[in-house]
Amino acid sequence: MGDIVLKTHLALFLVLVTVALALVLPFLLPWSYDQIDWNAVRAPAFSGSHLFGTDEIGRDRLARLAAGTRITLMVAIAAALVSLIVGIAWGATAGWIGGRVDEAMMRIVDGLYALPFMFIVILLMVVFGRSILLVFVGIGLVEWLTMARVVRGQVMALKQRPFILAAEAAGTPSIAIMLRHILPNIAGVALAYLMLTVPQVVMVESFLSFLGLGVQEPLTSLGILVKEGADDMDMTPLGLALPGGLLVIILVCLTIEGERLRDRFS
Amino acid sequence: MLALITRRLMTAIPTLLVIILASFFLMRLAPGGPFDGERPLDPATQAALQQAYGLDRPLWEQAWLYISRLVQGDFGPSLVYRDFTVSELIAQGLPISLTLGGLAILLALLIGVTAGLFAAVRAGKATDKTIMMLATVATALPTFVTGPALALFLGLWLGLLPVSGIGEGGAWLIMPVVALALPVSGAIAKLTRAGLASVLKQDHIRSARARGLSETKIMLKHGLRTAMVPVASYLGPAAAGLLTGAVVVETVFGLPGLGRYFVQGALNRDYPLVLGVVTLYAALIILFNLFADLIYGWLDPRMRDG
Repeated sequence: MGDIVLKTHLALFLVLVTVALALVLPFLLPWSYDQIDWNAVRAPAFSGSHLFGTDEIGRDRLARLAAGTRITLMVAIAAALVSLIVGIAWGATAGWIGGRVDEAMMRIVDGLYALPFMFIVILLMVVFGRSILLVFVGIGLVEWLTMARVVRGQVMALKQRPFILAAEAAGTPSIAIMLRHILPNIAGVALAYLMLTVPQVVMVESFLSFLGLGVQEPLTSLGILVKEGADDMDMTPLGLALPGGLLVIILVCLTIEGERLRDRFS
Repeated sequence: MLALITRRLMTAIPTLLVIILASFFLMRLAPGGPFDGERPLDPATQAALQQAYGLDRPLWEQAWLYISRLVQGDFGPSLVYRDFTVSELIAQGLPISLTLGGLAILLALLIGVTAGLFAAVRAGKATDKTIMMLATVATALPTFVTGPALALFLGLWLGLLPVSGIGEGGAWLIMPVVALALPVSGAIAKLTRAGLASVLKQDHIRSARARGLSETKIMLKHGLRTAMVPVASYLGPAAAGLLTGAVVVETVFGLPGLGRYFVQGALNRDYPLVLGVVTLYAALIILFNLFADLIYGWLDPRMRDG
């Protein structure tokens, strides 16, 4: 089973289809995600123009699913980029300078790794009024640790390579070496870990939204849809099954593709 | 070993202090206060309440007071559940959260190590690949999806298990613990499999084979012990993850654990309650990491001085 999934690139295919649908569907559907169809409250699937029916106040499930996926993926990509920037800056600095600075910086990473970070993020959300901008800055600031560790390891290995030593001997300033020689060489590995960060971030965003601390109404995200579905699951299981299933598919596929990339680069 | 414990406890104190102060000032930056209910109180009552709880003093003084009381084991009064002290709320919630987390980690170890072992024995074959694919799927299962899904299937449709609250016996624990344990068990299976794969190539395994030991004995006695080192180092982050997961699981299954108090406290600006839970969680996680390091040293004697 495992083999077939990997060989056929099934995971990548599913991710691309999901992204494409999330982008295109809102333009094709007759209903928008926050529009109420007063004639079809709690409509079952395949009724009229509602392919997956409507929710408890008559909003089209498919439209909400597409809008939610869009927001979730947007937040995830933005937060993953924040983590990429912070992680590379921290890891590259530690790895390049080395010695005591490196030790101190990595100690901080080790210390942060084990902390109940989600609780600090929850506090941040409460404090700064749950804006969507903060959702991804907050998550990105939490998820940079692995990236920093990986980048540091790569930079330390690169530092010993002859072409870097040559650049140093030629008197190239550190900043220039970093930008011209180091960064291009760690791009592949960083990309692989970026792929693995995205599902992590999706998970955190949905977790916060599920608790009512992330994305706020009228905007919607997969976490909010799962929450709405869970509250109403005894009436319409479809409300939980659709966003929950989609979320799991996205997480699994992104993880599989991320691990494949990582194994290729390490 | 004693040196390791002392050194860790010495670094734990400043770490805890930073966390407490950071959470303290973060909470206070938040708009709103604990006494903004549905109906606004009149200014005189508001001021009297502020004064009674010392909230009118300068922030640094309040922080200092909080920490000096904390050192004596006093978490202060809850500002929202007004008849309770934070210590009383913690005493109610902590046993529930610890039971959930503890059982979940045991279950995750049991499933994860067994699955990883089977995969490593059949390395490269279909069983191995299937188990590893399932492990990847398991790591990607968020508790807030599996929790409600389990409740729907086993609770509402089949009526096998209670959906909400603490019932008689242990049946109420099953679904929350399974939902919590699944992602962790996937990660443990992967680590076990990877650990065993690298250990089985080493010399001491070859000599064990040459000595004619049975394959089972080699796996369990010589392979698994060393292969558990990466698993042990994962236990610290896993504990942090379980405590966070517990917040969701407690919400989904209506269990009055610490995680629920934390979210409620943060929303209601119950400063002492939130600080108390954060402090306690941070302390627990630091302790758990120390514990993981001790297991680490026991598994791999080369690590003991490091």
